[in-house]
Amino acid sequence: MPKREKKESMKIVPPGKKKCVWMEAGVVSYKLCDNNYDCPTCVYDHAMQTKVDRQKEAALTRPIEASPDQFTHSWVDKMMRLPASKRKCRYMITGEVDRKICPNAYECGTCSFDRMMQQRLQAEPLPVKTPAEVAGFELADGFYYHEGHTWARPEYGGRVRVGLDDFAQKLVGRLKRIDLPHIGHQLNQGETGFTVTRNGDTVGVLSPVDGIVSRVNDKILNNPELINRSPYEQGWLMIIEPTKLRKNLKGLYYGEEASSHIQAEKDRLFEVANEEFRMAADGGESVEDISGEMEGEAWVKLAKTFLRSQ
Amino acid sequence: MISEGGNAHLPLCVMICSIGPVDPFVRDQVAECVSCQCRLPCRFSPEMTTPAYAFDEKRQQYNSKLILRYLMDLNHRSLRFLAVTQLDLFVPILKYVFGLAQIEGQCAIISTYRLRPEYYGHAPNPALFMERVKKTALHELGHTMGLTHCRDRRCIMHSATTIEDTDVKRARFCPTCHEIFKWQLEQYVS
Repeated sequence: MPKREKKESMKIVPPGKKKCVWMEAGVVSYKLCDNNYDCPTCVYDHAMQTKVDRQKEAALTRPIEASPDQFTHSWVDKMMRLPASKRKCRYMITGEVDRKICPNAYECGTCSFDRMMQQRLQAEPLPVKTPAEVAGFELADGFYYHEGHTWARPEYGGRVRVGLDDFAQKLVGRLKRIDLPHIGHQLNQGETGFTVTRNGDTVGVLSPVDGIVSRVNDKILNNPELINRSPYEQGWLMIIEPTKLRKNLKGLYYGEEASSHIQAEKDRLFEVANEEFRMAADGGESVEDISGEMEGEAWVKLAKTFLRSQ
Repeated sequence: MISEGGNAHLPLCVMICSIGPVDPFVRDQVAECVSCQCRLPCRFSPEMTTPAYAFDEKRQQYNSKLILRYLMDLNHRSLRFLAVTQLDLFVPILKYVFGLAQIEGQCAIISTYRLRPEYYGHAPNPALFMERVKKTALHELGHTMGLTHCRDRRCIMHSATTIEDTDVKRARFCPTCHEIFKWQLEQYVS
């Protein structure tokens, strides 16, 4: 039977989805990235790398006759022969650099450019679209929110940026000090991750995800006001290398759920702040510094209630 | 249905009272709306003076919580007491409020200050202004009948943070809130 020519079928990539680097390279016909371009922790990437290693070994121990359809070269050799359009670096795919051709056969874990990009991207937060206003509080789109009013933003490469949401920054008000964990410290979702201090009173804040702290925002240590001015960008607190991201994200609010949560929290805040008698208000954005209205014990009580800390 | 002065024989009614000068037309329209939507007769009590005790120097606004507390201490001969004012109201944790009410209590207050289109730099629009006043009055009255904020954006009991939220709402209760309001009212009647 004559060998049928293999035709390249057209694959549709859904809007908002991005091709896996192996698909970009044309090694597999269809595979979308489902691990936020965190190749070093991607099960699929590991499987592909193992396959490549096996091919390498086989090629060394049992050389086979060259033929166009067989794996006759090492992966790196083959990769380097691909046209530039099929060797886009993952940072080019995600739009974090304008143009960069993969220099390391998609072995991101050992790539120097990758390491440099990780360092650079960790230092500067990704830009945030104008946050939506919900019940008088800003909510940034694409962020995951913990019930204790911290946010987690998974970024390309697997890191998770963490900060306080607008509700929390208005609730705790102008901070005197913020104590962040050291790099390498293990954090657990729902357990105290760091503390905030105002007028000598300190309250713990819960971590939104499990993981290891890989970087802290030094700028806010000397200038905690950044949290009030820009809670979703310049006021970010730390970067965590997550250990149970998928599981953790299921326990966080996202999109419509986050909006409903903030609305409910505003009503609850109103009840707690006016507990002498039951009342409700119509209208009204929150003041910039909710805690400015109360000091000492009242501040600690209010902060602990809404940050869900002990 | 709408009459001037007090009436000891009719406790099942809403007493409407101006705090500081309020356009009588606004007061009448509120009364008509409440009568129509809530099936409750309205009466008017004499105007109260501007509450100097509630003025906050720093914010240059009136603390609605203090006014509500004052109203709660008065002896009202009506099922509900709805105060209308054109003063700018606030509560300590919010920059401003359109209205404040006791939940399942007797008293509520609404402010027309931030309901006028002129406040937002728009051309005067009496119809829009009155629509907002009626919505705010019904909303606060709903709270006094035990209703809490509703998730339905079109329901009058949806929480309005900004004036745009008020404009999105319709001047009536959603079926669920209407059912609860009616049931609460029946409890009082029975």
